Amino acid sequence: MLILRGEDIEEKVKGFSFPAIVKSQIAIGSRKKAGLIKIAKSTNEAISLCDEYFNRNIAGFQVEAILIEELVTIEHEYYCSIALDASGRQFYLIVSKEGGIDIEDVSKERPEAIIKLNFSYSTGLTENIARAAATRLGLLGTSLQLGINIVLKLWEIAKKLEAQLVEINPLVMTPSGLIAVDGKMILDDDAEFRQPIIQNLQERKLSDLEKLAKKAGFSFVELSGEIGILANGAGLTMALLDVLSELGLQPANFLDVGGGASKERVYKALDLIFKLQPKAVLVNIFGGITRCDIVAQAIIQALKDFSDAPPMVIRLTGTNEKEGVALLKEANIDVIQDIMGAVKKVKEVLSE
Amino acid sequence: MYINENSKVIVQGMTGKQGMFHTQIMLNYGTKIVAGVTPGKGGQQVHDIPVFNKMKEAIQETGADTSIIFVPARFILSAAMESLNAGINMTCIITENVPVFDMIQLVEKAKEKGLFLIGPNCPGMLIPDKIKLGIMPNNMCHYGDVAVISKSGTLSYEITKAIGNSDIGVSAYIGIGGDPVRGTTMQEAVAYYSEDPKTKIIVLIGEIGSDEEEKTAELIKYNVSKPVIAYIAGKSAPEGKRMGHAGAIISGDIGTAKGKIKALKDSGVLIANTPWEVPQVIKEIL
Repeated sequence: MLILRGEDIEEKVKGFSFPAIVKSQIAIGSRKKAGLIKIAKSTNEAISLCDEYFNRNIAGFQVEAILIEELVTIEHEYYCSIALDASGRQFYLIVSKEGGIDIEDVSKERPEAIIKLNFSYSTGLTENIARAAATRLGLLGTSLQLGINIVLKLWEIAKKLEAQLVEINPLVMTPSGLIAVDGKMILDDDAEFRQPIIQNLQERKLSDLEKLAKKAGFSFVELSGEIGILANGAGLTMALLDVLSELGLQPANFLDVGGGASKERVYKALDLIFKLQPKAVLVNIFGGITRCDIVAQAIIQALKDFSDAPPMVIRLTGTNEKEGVALLKEANIDVIQDIMGAVKKVKEVLSE
Repeated sequence: MYINENSKVIVQGMTGKQGMFHTQIMLNYGTKIVAGVTPGKGGQQVHDIPVFNKMKEAIQETGADTSIIFVPARFILSAAMESLNAGINMTCIITENVPVFDMIQLVEKAKEKGLFLIGPNCPGMLIPDKIKLGIMPNNMCHYGDVAVISKSGTLSYEITKAIGNSDIGVSAYIGIGGDPVRGTTMQEAVAYYSEDPKTKIIVLIGEIGSDEEEKTAELIKYNVSKPVIAYIAGKSAPEGKRMGHAGAIISGDIGTAKGKIKALKDSGVLIANTPWEVPQVIKEIL
C-alpha cells in the first residue's frame, strides 16, 4: 500500500494488518542504515512512523511517499542488477548470494562473492547469460526459471527506460518463492525528451538558485566562498576553482555558462552570480564555440543594469577575442589576457 | 590515421547556425571541407560548398572520408549512424547531451565496421597547421611533437595555448569529450598516439569522474614507453555534486582527482599541478 504525501495516513493505515514493514520512498540509497525502513507492530506504530518519515529531510531529499508492505519470511537474500560500464561501453549483469546490504562493501571486502557477466547492447542479455548467473546463485527448479525470468526482465526495463542501473536488492527467497523486495534505478537525463518517466520526476537536491540555473541552461553549483565565478567549460572552471583554492581564495559558485552561450544566457548567469552577493566576480572565458564578443555584450549590459554589481575581473580569449576586447575597452571595462594575472587581480580587489 | 591534411570533410548540419559558423572558421584554417549534409536541404550551398540530403550521395560526389556533426542531440543517432553506414573513416560528434544508449549503439557500429568515432560533447581534433576538425580556437599552437589528449574542451584550449606560447609544437590535439560513453576512450587515444612516429610526448588532460584515467594509467604502466604528462582538474570539487560534465561526478573512491593522480604517478606519469605548469614540465623532458 502506497501513501502519498498529504494523504490521510490514519485512514489508509487502518485498512492494513500488522505487523508490517514501513518503507520511506526517497531518492537516496542505504535507507535501512538511515532508519528509513522499519517494522511497525501495530496501526499506531505505523501512523507515528509515517508522521516521522514525512517530516524528515536528508541531504536535501524529502520522503515523497511511504510504502507499507506485509512482512515476508526471508530464507535468503540475493543481489541482482544490470549496470552500464560507461568507459568499457558495455553492460554487466551483476549477481551475488550476499544481498540485502551495501553491495559496494561486499565488492570491496570479498570481490569473489560477486558474479559479473558482461554483454553488449546489440547482443543483449541472452537466456544463456541469465541462466549462468541464476545457476551460480544456486537456484534450482522453479526458482531457477523464475530467477532467469527476473534477470531477463531487468534487461528489458533497462533498454526500455534507458537506465544505467536497474537493481533489485534484496531479491528474497521466501517459502513461496522469489520476491523482489527493494529496487533502484539510475536514468539518463539526456534521454528526457523521449522518456516520460523522467519528465514526471520532480527536481531534487537543488538549491533555489541551482534550479534557476538549470532552467536557464547552465551548470551551476552553489559553494560557500566570496568570489563569484563565471566561466566556460566544465574542466576549465574546475581547474580555476582548484587554483583559487590553492591560493586560499574561496569561490562562491561553480558556473559553466556552456558552449555557444547567447548574450541572454551570459546575462542571466551574471544576474544569478550577483544574487550570491560575492565580493568580486571573476569572469574567465576561453572562446571556442562560445564567442567573446557576445560575452562582452552581456557583461556591458549587466553592468549597465546592475548599478550595485561587485567589482569584476574579466579575462577573455579565443574565438572573436579582438571584437570582444574592443567592445569592453569602448565601455571602459578592463580586460586581462592571462589567467594568473586575473587571479592576482582578484586577490588585490579582495584585499582592498 | 584518425585524420590528416588530405582528409576530405563533410559537415553534417552545415545549414544550422553552429554548423555554418564553424564551417567558415575551419575553412579559414585550411580544412578541406567538400560537402554539407542536411536532410531536406540538398541543392543549397553554404560558403560555396554544396549541401546534400544524404551522406552516400555526398561521398559519391566528393570522395569525402571524414565527417563532423553539429546536429541537435536527438538526431545524433541517425546522423552518426548514417555516417558510419556510409563508411566514413572518422566521424566526429560535437553535439552535447547525446543520450548514453545512442552512443553505445554508435560505438558498437563503429567497432563492427572498423571505423573511428570521436565525441560526443567534444571540441574535435586538430593537427596544427594542417587540419582542424572541430570548434577549438584557430591560433593555439604550431605543428610539433607533443600530442594533447583531453576529456575537457575549454581547459584543453587553455593548456594547448600555453604549450604553443612556450614555443612547443603539437603533433595532434584530440578532444575526446566529457560524456561518460565516448566514441574514442582516453586509453584508445593514448594507445594510438604511443604508436604515432611524429609524437614524442603525450599530454593527458583529465578530470574527476569515470575510471578512464585509472584505466589509462594501467595501459601506460605496461604498454607506453613515451613520456606522459598529466593534469587532472577537480581537486577542490565537493563530493557528489555535478560539476558540469556528466562524467564528472565523484562517488566513493572511484573517480576522485586524488585517486587518478596517484594511479598516474604510480605508472610513471609526470603530474602538472596547475594547467599553466604543463609547458614547464614538457620543457624539463625535452
